[in-house]
Amino acid sequence: MPTNTNPELLPGTLEMLILKTLTRGPNHGYGIAQHITRVSQDALRIGEGSLYPALQRLLMNSWVAAEWGISETNRKARFYKITPAGRKQLAQEVRDFDFQLAAIARVMQGA
Amino acid sequence: MNLWTHLRYSFRRRRLARDLAEEMRLHREMLEEQFASEGTPPAEARFAAQRRFGSAMAAVDQSRDQWSFAWFDSLLRDLQFAWRLLIRQPMFTVAATLTVAFGVGANTAIVSVLETALLNPLGLRHADNVMVARVRIEKLQMRHAQTSGVEFREIQSMTDVFSAAAAMEGRAWTLQSGGEATRLVGQAVTPDFFRVFGEYPAVGRFFTPEDDNSVVLSDSLWRTQFGADPSVVGRVMMPDDRPYHIVGVAPAAFRFPAQAQAWTPLRLDPKRLLDSQRGNNMNLGLFARLHDGVAPAQAVDRVGRHVAAINSTRGRSSKLDYDIELDPFGRYIAGDLRRPLLLLWSAALLVLFTGCANVAGLLLARTASRRKEIAIRISVGATHSQIVRQLLLESLLLGALGGAAGIAVAKFAISLLKHLVIPGGSMLEFVSLNERLVAYGFGLALLSGLLFGLAPAVQLLRQSQSSDLVRSRRKWFQDIFVTAEVAGAFVLIVMTFLLLRSLWAVERIQPGFDPHHVTTAYFIKPKNDPGFLDRLQTALHANPALQSASLVNPVPFGGGGFTSGFIIKNRERRPGEPLRHGEMYQVSPDYFSTLRIPLLRGRTLAESDTASSPLVCVIDSRLADRFFPGQDPIGQEIGMYKGSARIVGVVAAIRGTTLEEGSRPTVYYSLAQVPFFQSAAIAVRSTAPAASAIREVVRRTNAAVPVYDVKTLERRMGESLGIRRVLAALLTTFGAISLLLAILGLYGVIAQVVSERTPEIGIRMALGARPSQILSQFMRQGLRSGFLGLGLGFLAVIYAKRWISGMLYQVQASDPATLSLASVGILSMLLIAVWWPARRASRIDPQHALRHD
Repeated sequence: MPTNTNPELLPGTLEMLILKTLTRGPNHGYGIAQHITRVSQDALRIGEGSLYPALQRLLMNSWVAAEWGISETNRKARFYKITPAGRKQLAQEVRDFDFQLAAIARVMQGA
Repeated sequence: MNLWTHLRYSFRRRRLARDLAEEMRLHREMLEEQFASEGTPPAEARFAAQRRFGSAMAAVDQSRDQWSFAWFDSLLRDLQFAWRLLIRQPMFTVAATLTVAFGVGANTAIVSVLETALLNPLGLRHADNVMVARVRIEKLQMRHAQTSGVEFREIQSMTDVFSAAAAMEGRAWTLQSGGEATRLVGQAVTPDFFRVFGEYPAVGRFFTPEDDNSVVLSDSLWRTQFGADPSVVGRVMMPDDRPYHIVGVAPAAFRFPAQAQAWTPLRLDPKRLLDSQRGNNMNLGLFARLHDGVAPAQAVDRVGRHVAAINSTRGRSSKLDYDIELDPFGRYIAGDLRRPLLLLWSAALLVLFTGCANVAGLLLARTASRRKEIAIRISVGATHSQIVRQLLLESLLLGALGGAAGIAVAKFAISLLKHLVIPGGSMLEFVSLNERLVAYGFGLALLSGLLFGLAPAVQLLRQSQSSDLVRSRRKWFQDIFVTAEVAGAFVLIVMTFLLLRSLWAVERIQPGFDPHHVTTAYFIKPKNDPGFLDRLQTALHANPALQSASLVNPVPFGGGGFTSGFIIKNRERRPGEPLRHGEMYQVSPDYFSTLRIPLLRGRTLAESDTASSPLVCVIDSRLADRFFPGQDPIGQEIGMYKGSARIVGVVAAIRGTTLEEGSRPTVYYSLAQVPFFQSAAIAVRSTAPAASAIREVVRRTNAAVPVYDVKTLERRMGESLGIRRVLAALLTTFGAISLLLAILGLYGVIAQVVSERTPEIGIRMALGARPSQILSQFMRQGLRSGFLGLGLGFLAVIYAKRWISGMLYQVQASDPATLSLASVGILSMLLIAVWWPARRASRIDPQHALRHD
């Protein structure tokens, strides 16, 4: 399945960011996007058009689970929760990402 | 991601789309709120939110792609399409379905018998790992013989390959209950017997080595005699008026041997286990269970090495070719049924295969006529692989339909099979259609679907646009199918002829006695009633319903016999004289007249030959011819079972075990002079059914005597012919069907070619071709594949010759008359099949044909 993310992000990174966000507790799509934007100090803006397909991919891989609930502002919202399989996947992706980042850094410093 | 999740999402995607749309709407509302709270005016906030959100529809679409299997969707569409096509051509669908159904049904039914006979005999659940040990001494023509105690001791000690071993010895008791005497059969078994078969008691326990005078009941005995009372353990049963303590009840599924009603402990005398006792008292059945993970071949190898060691230390036995045969339990039970069943299975596969070839031919023809439709689909963007998938799906669907119908056919066929009269037929009771067999049948049907769908699909794949090329290729395919069909039909027809001829030959054999209107019944001689036999004969003679009555042991065609070596007094064995070996019967004086066995010389046995008078015997002409050639045997003395007996008469030879086997040298003793057998049989001649009269006479003579195994002689002989009859009947059916299929196949091909080429023929006729030219052209084309098929069939018959000759009688597998009759018969039918459409071609009216398209 092709990984389809924000073109400004490295491939596959969006899923990792979502999973990381969900380790803080269940959250809905809006909250996830807000969190990533806020923590990255507006550096990363998640287009909702890529957020939801990414969430669907995570759902189908059973890395997250979803259920309808009531948001903090008393609205109906769909909450996502990370599953144990999702935590394992996250750890893997973080390792891969670190490895990649280090490689890129070496290339850039060498140049 | 696994397939299951994918399928689940695929089926639920409408709800998922709703969920996603709702979720995104809520998200947008939150964004609007956020913008509004940051001070943007409401209308602008909504616009901003929408912009921020990106294309909502695109997101939904993207997600939808993830949920669904694109190919799964189109698969469903193709399936619907295929279904509509099949419904639109009901004749074709019904014909193809029936063809597959018959092939699959016949196969499944036969495999169900095979399974019961070879894999799961008698319905035993845990017998897969059980091996049977029997003795073979080739020099004495002794095969499948039971063992002595020595072999039991040896097999039991091979703990590296066997986890348990047990011996059993037949027993029969008389049980008195409610004023009725019944014969109880069972086995005395060593303690591990049930463990070998992996069985646990339904009630109570099985035997321990300490047990003596205890008994384990079969489920049926427990139900009939004890009303399935669970507290039966500890009660005492009195077979043969001796007390046996009931310790347990075997599970209902455990029926081994098939007739066994009870098991008692077998305590082997230690003397029977001594090496010197090898070959003595060979009346033990010997069974051993393989350790888990040990292959039967390993055990056979282990026993083989052991036998080699024995033979090398004992020079004498190696000259005798002493061997211990080790067979899987299933093969032991199936015995003689194995070969006929395998033959029927291959015949059924052949029928299925011819059927497939036929359906493939039909499909090819149909694909050809669908060229336009397919061309249109390709021009609007269908890929070749999509078209091929579509074609394969259609044929798989046909296969599935045929499979479902085939299972129904098998169910019906199995219920018919249960009525067969064959030796060992009691096992047919356990034949049933289990889920494994249904899977086999259905798998076979789908495989057939794939097989006959492949031809049009391959043809399409190769379609290199030139339509002439395609046509010639299709014909090439169809020729192969027709050739194969003719070959298959030829093989089956030849086999059928051979088996029918064997059956006729065997049925024409005169057994040497007149079996019509003779009823026979076994009884157990009472131990404490010395005058019983005399009173019984008097009572039988006094009964007006019985024209003639006598006693005999054993009954001819009764499935058993007494075979023994004998000596001729005062006569050295001449060089080249056959082994002095023969059959023994004990009879009452009237036996020869009851069975109408002619007396050739001297006298028959008489009332005056009693226990106190000198021992005499009557021999048959076979023994006389073989051992007293050119001499008068009367007055000579031979010794077989008891001292020397003077020969007083010679009677005609009879065939006593099977019709096929020639008669063996036979000695008849008087029942009064050789009384030491437990049972004997009554043989009466009566035009009316005599079974109840026999029972009544015995009951009134001594109510404590059980009567069993009551059958007419004709029925006993019929059982020995059963396999031949069944084989001949089934093969006749299979052969006729495959021949019909081959004829239809050939007819179909030629008819289709004719209809396709009608305009061309019209032109040729208009240009002056004569009808006879057209006729012979098509005839030649059709007969070419017919001849080729016959040739292939010939080769197949020659190849299979060795294999089927064991089932034939007085006819060779390569019998020229049969082969030529079958070829001429098939050829003439093929001629008609070809001539019909070819004649139509020759009668085409050019005027009409040219306007045809």
